Amino acid sequence: MIYFDKVSKIYSPTSIALEDVSFTIKPSEFISLVGPSGAGKSTLLKMLLAEERPTSGTVFFESHDVNKMTRIELPKIRRRMGVVFQDYRLLPHKTAYENIAFALEAGGAPEEDIERDVPQVLDIVGLTDKAWHFPGQLSGGEKQRVAIARAIVSKPDVVIADEPTGNLDPANTHDIIDLLQKINDMNNTIVILATHDKEVINSLRRRVVTLDKGKVVRDEEKGKYVL
Amino acid sequence: MDQITFKRVFKWGFINFFRNGVVSVATVLVMSLSIFMIGIVVMGSIFLNGVIVSLEEKVDISVYFKQDAAEQDILSMQKNLQDLPEVKDVKYVSRDEALRIFTERHQGDTVVLQSLQVVEENPFYASLEISAKDTAKYESIAQFLENSEQASLITADEAGQKKITFRQNQAAIEKLTSLLSTARLVGFAVSIMLAFIAVLVAYNTVRLAIYNSKEEISVMQLVGASNAFIRGPFLVEGVMYGLLSSIFTIAVFYPIFWWTGKKTASIFGGLNVFLYFTANILEIAAILISTGLILGVLSSAFAVRKYLRV
Repeated sequence: MIYFDKVSKIYSPTSIALEDVSFTIKPSEFISLVGPSGAGKSTLLKMLLAEERPTSGTVFFESHDVNKMTRIELPKIRRRMGVVFQDYRLLPHKTAYENIAFALEAGGAPEEDIERDVPQVLDIVGLTDKAWHFPGQLSGGEKQRVAIARAIVSKPDVVIADEPTGNLDPANTHDIIDLLQKINDMNNTIVILATHDKEVINSLRRRVVTLDKGKVVRDEEKGKYVL
Repeated sequence: MDQITFKRVFKWGFINFFRNGVVSVATVLVMSLSIFMIGIVVMGSIFLNGVIVSLEEKVDISVYFKQDAAEQDILSMQKNLQDLPEVKDVKYVSRDEALRIFTERHQGDTVVLQSLQVVEENPFYASLEISAKDTAKYESIAQFLENSEQASLITADEAGQKKITFRQNQAAIEKLTSLLSTARLVGFAVSIMLAFIAVLVAYNTVRLAIYNSKEEISVMQLVGASNAFIRGPFLVEGVMYGLLSSIFTIAVFYPIFWWTGKKTASIFGGLNVFLYFTANILEIAAILISTGLILGVLSSAFAVRKYLRV
């Protein structure tokens, strides 16, 4: 369970990214965060990852206040969240296989687990034949599928996808959204999808939280993209 | 850090070093330049010191005694001199010994030897050869001699000037003394400056190499890698930079010192850089390799620390 409690992020009096945002995400939920650019979607996700601190309010991941984590605890919490970004953020000097394995290595997983799990997720995202390619040798859609594989390989409780289809064509967008739904169905993993793609939202028919100018303006089950 | 993590840190340090190819080679080369500079500074200061000491050893003063001076009195003077804290060594050369040294030196020079025979009597004076611990101390030693009880035993010229060689070479010795102390000071200042520049250059090079990984470090943090797991491979890379550059530098030093040794031995009065280098190769290698390792690891640690702040 994830709980945003009156979260505000104020950079300066004229630049307010989030204002008094509160909502709860239940286990195994697939939730879309929508809104125009600058509505505060990415900022909200950064708060959950403890990449940035809220000016006021708290973000709970289960019973943990993520912004009160120590430097030792924070990596452990982050291993329970898989992240996917618009710009993929793969490690350029590691192959697809190594990028995925890195998430497990960081958690100190034994070699047997890595040798078993990495091929498995490569198969899920359909990149078994490109396992030993470097990111520079992959297309945008393939890179994003490697990023998703990396996000799910450690069997996280939540997958956070920040505009994952922002740089992709419609066909690849469809594949990526399908994958995210599959992840949500398979392991009851929470998926938080931030996007401003109308087509994507309307095809999903899942919960939609709409942000505008840093405030929650709508929160609907089986929502549509309305602004 | 558990064993498997430790193993992975090493594995990734190695792999990253080779995958970064050009950056790694460039870093090693620039760091070699720094270690080369530090090596030259170390060798240079040791060598300069050697030259200064050998020059200082060449400076001594002699006191000549009247022919009728009793050997006993001269020996008691030698003892008095030796008790002075400034004096390093006093050597007594008797009249007979002076004659022997002279004939040895002029062996084969029949004219000189014949003229000696004409004189019949031994024309040489007995003398004391005094070397001081510090060239600046000769003035006070000369004064001690001039004021001592046995001063009357010392030969003097018509003007009454006692025959102490320091008085004759005083200007030259004083000039040399001030020159040597300036050389020491300048050498030290230049060494410190060069070493400082070398350290800065090495640090900046490693920092630039790691700057390229700035984005990667933030990604690793988001994926849940601990700071130690992120830092580790960079430290391993730092070890490799340091090790390879110091070995490379030693390999470059070998022919350079061989050549300079051959060319400059005569200038430095027989002191050969190359012989010094080969005789102390283990110490020099130890200094350079540890310098390289410390530079590489500390530079990496400082550079990564900057990007690890959340």
